[in-house]
Amino acid sequence: MASADSVLRIKDLYVNFYTYEGVVRALDGVQLDLKRGDTMGLVGETGCGKSVTSKAILRLIDPPGRIESGSIILSDKDRNTGEITDIDILQLHPKEMLGIRGNKIGIVFQDPATYPNPVFRVADQIAEVIILHQDLRRDALQMKIRELESILQPGPRPDECDISEDSSQSSASQRASSPPTPLPPEKVESIRQRIASYQAMMDDPPKLDKKTLKAAARQRAIDMLRLVKMPAPERVGDQYPHELSGGMRQRALIAMALASDPLVLICDEATTALDVTVQAQVLKLLNELKAKVGSSILIITHDLGIVAETCNRVTVMYAGTTVESTATHELFENPIHPYTAGLLNAVPKLHENKERFDQIVGSVPNLISPPTGCRFHPRCKFATDICSTDRPELREIKPDHWVACHNPQGEF
Amino acid sequence: MERTLVRVENLKKYFPLMGGVFRKVVGKVHAVDDVTFDIYRGETLGVVGESGCGKTTLGRTIMRLLEPTSGKIIFEGRDISRVTGSDLREIRKGMQIVFQDPMASLDPRVTIKNSVGEPLMINGIARGPKMRAMVLDLLQKVGLTEDHLNRFPHEFSGGQRQRICIARALALNPKFVVMDEPTSSTDVSVQAQTLNLMRNLQDELGLTYMFISHNLSVVKHMSDRVAVMYLGKIVEMTPHDIFARSLHPYTFALVSAVPIPDPDFAGRAQILVGEVPSPINPPTGCRFHPRCIFAQEICQTEEPLLRDMGDGHLVACHFAGELDFGSSAQQEYAEASQES
Repeated sequence: MASADSVLRIKDLYVNFYTYEGVVRALDGVQLDLKRGDTMGLVGETGCGKSVTSKAILRLIDPPGRIESGSIILSDKDRNTGEITDIDILQLHPKEMLGIRGNKIGIVFQDPATYPNPVFRVADQIAEVIILHQDLRRDALQMKIRELESILQPGPRPDECDISEDSSQSSASQRASSPPTPLPPEKVESIRQRIASYQAMMDDPPKLDKKTLKAAARQRAIDMLRLVKMPAPERVGDQYPHELSGGMRQRALIAMALASDPLVLICDEATTALDVTVQAQVLKLLNELKAKVGSSILIITHDLGIVAETCNRVTVMYAGTTVESTATHELFENPIHPYTAGLLNAVPKLHENKERFDQIVGSVPNLISPPTGCRFHPRCKFATDICSTDRPELREIKPDHWVACHNPQGEF
Repeated sequence: MERTLVRVENLKKYFPLMGGVFRKVVGKVHAVDDVTFDIYRGETLGVVGESGCGKTTLGRTIMRLLEPTSGKIIFEGRDISRVTGSDLREIRKGMQIVFQDPMASLDPRVTIKNSVGEPLMINGIARGPKMRAMVLDLLQKVGLTEDHLNRFPHEFSGGQRQRICIARALALNPKFVVMDEPTSSTDVSVQAQTLNLMRNLQDELGLTYMFISHNLSVVKHMSDRVAVMYLGKIVEMTPHDIFARSLHPYTFALVSAVPIPDPDFAGRAQILVGEVPSPINPPTGCRFHPRCIFAQEICQTEEPLLRDMGDGHLVACHFAGELDFGSSAQQEYAEASQES
């Protein structure tokens, strides 16, 4: 399932965990194709390998787990030239991974209560990501120019200096401290000269000292908090995580993940721990952010309602394999794999009044000794002899609808 | 036989908040604040609300696992809110609870046979081979087999563990079972199995359930009546479908936030502004007024009482029945899917 405009392609990924009971074959040939600008839902039950896949993408699989084979290709598009370079994440040196994690790929984890570090202020934690991954020299220069300009207020503003959209709040405090009396003309002149000299440095900014670096990073961190619609971002930035509610913490984590403008944002069950009303707020935020930032989003969830709400493509996983992948509309209207159909039926519908729920019989198989052939065959109503012997390949059964099944159901 | 099995009258549960050098009581968390309702024989009463609204505390207080601050709990015509000792143990045979996390509520070092059989031993009903036979019977009721008897909890999947907990709750043949989020830690397909099992057991044994959950779709399917809680109060109690007909603005907001499993209706969820206020200093008047778009002056000063709208539909809102919420995406979705 490869195409030119993919941003993340996983091919035949195998991950095993070597435990005392035996080898757990957690991922068994996972395929995934995330296109640029898409929001993809990765759905499946507990233990189907959704989270292992997301950790494998960031190479965060700890022993006894091991990535056995496969490839994870990240297509990095240069923002200026539009040139595309393919990076195989699995071939990188651990040191090179530092430039990928949190920079090219951001992740938001499930439990907002455990992830922000409790002993650091929110803005400082976001600033850390920015300092690590971003060149702040231009930001610092702009910050200095803004400071000087605020002294000159209500003086003229040089046109060529492009000020980022949210400079107003930051300079407000500076303005308050500026003297009420007009400055002497020679002082104004010297400030103008300094502004001009800073502007001249814009093309080749000098190195920063620690203090300016921190101030610039903090400014960016607060901009990020504003982007995720945090109420009173300056104040929240100075607070500690325990002072925030679950929904606000999750917003802070999303801000952190987006701070370095990643190519791919992974939300690993990002709203599972939240209440429906807060979940609706966070999902709305994600939908709005999709339009604003250029990231492609991979949403890992078990809730098909969330998929319908936010994603335009879906990949369904079962017991470490990819079983179906298509556009969201197509999946909900025409599920082809028997497992997907069963999963859609098991969701309690808002409008029906059924005495009993439709259920998928049996339970998820043990991955130490997974079923032969198709891993779903022991629970499948449509299983035939071939299902227990041959593994179905993921194939394009109809245009843009990929299914791994010997006896596909539905229309095609 | 009387229709009401459990009656709760003006039940309050406050948790003291300690502070200062001498650990003085500096405040109270109003977890459950003046709640009155009946649970009828053979029905399932669903209780929904956001986290921190007091639904779990309500369940536990009714079971007498927490001491009520004030109010009455009447079980089968008898006030049990002050009963202690062996009388309480006798009453507890008739009411049981299934907790949220099955792994945490089963002792990892005790076999399933002994875990499920413990209530039988403690109450002197059976021991030895007779207990084994009774436990086996219980396990078979919840779909487990003889092989499972001598295994330990870690050998089971989440859904199976929850079924073991249900078997244990049923060991003493209770009339009333509180289900505290029984499926919140399981997957959709396993959740359907557990819920079907609960339905079957209810039909077979004539059980009465109090079903606590934050999952509105599940509650709607399981319950005969639904109580909606907000900040320790019941704001609405309805025998109708909460998705189709809600009269309290909070219920409507809660229902409208549920994601619809259909991409055609994406992005239509209505957003409730703000966050749940602290239960330490709940707002005056109607507790929902700071977040309510219909709030008037009276809502800030006067607390609305639960009143019957005629058909057993209770609402605590000054303007119940007068407000026009418009139509939610959920209602349109239901209509659209019924037509097709």
